Amino acid sequence: MKNRLKVLRAERNWSQQALADELGVSRQSVNAIETGRYDPSLPLAFQIAEVFGMAIEEIFSRD
Amino acid sequence: MSTTTSGLGARPGLWVGLILGTCGLIFGLKASGAINDTTTLLLAIVPTALLFALFRSLANQRENRCGSTSQAGKRYIFGIMATSIAYVLGLGVAMWVFRNLDPSVELTWLLAMLPIAPILAMIFVMGRYIVEEQDEYLRHRAIMASLIGLGFVLAIGSFWGFLETFELVPHVPGWWAVPIWAMGMGLGQAWQSMRHKVGPVDEE
Repeated sequence: MKNRLKVLRAERNWSQQALADELGVSRQSVNAIETGRYDPSLPLAFQIAEVFGMAIEEIFSRD
Repeated sequence: MSTTTSGLGARPGLWVGLILGTCGLIFGLKASGAINDTTTLLLAIVPTALLFALFRSLANQRENRCGSTSQAGKRYIFGIMATSIAYVLGLGVAMWVFRNLDPSVELTWLLAMLPIAPILAMIFVMGRYIVEEQDEYLRHRAIMASLIGLGFVLAIGSFWGFLETFELVPHVPGWWAVPIWAMGMGLGQAWQSMRHKVGPVDEE
């Protein structure tokens, strides 16, 4: 699965740690999701979408 | 946010080296007959104490990589530290009493429980961590590491077991299952860390 997490984060000038704090997860988790090494669960994907104020499909897409 | 990474507290490899070095030295002295059982047991306090430093530096390293350690992570580190130390001490005391004091059968049962109880507690601590960890990625990594550890136990156990059946190798006690599992878990975590290498804390 592909995602636009890094771009969206850069647009808002958020660090990985800031996003991790917002989501209540570790910085490692944000890094792993951002680099496509880990696909988040549906609840976490919804949470990420909520933090960015976007729909899930605007952030995540199929390869 | 920044976290201090300097100092001995952030170098687990150093503590592992010291623990292995002191264990090797004690083993060498014992094997050469330079020290007796009592002295060996007393000297074993040194690597046991070094375990404290190792777990502390592992906790620091975890904080540096993850940003902060979850409550489940803190309980896990404390639990593993406590059970590891209880295991080393329990095993040392049980072996010393068994070899030197010729205990009764009843007492021998109790002595055998000294290393067994911490091992069971260690397995419980690992299971509790997987249940309690709220960070799904860290939980996923812990599960993968424990499965890799289990794979080591099954592979090595089957391999050695059949060699033993055909009388090609000597008998190995069953309690080796847990150390092999722990070693496999450690390798599993190290392998995942190498694959998922994360930059320094200040990385945007």
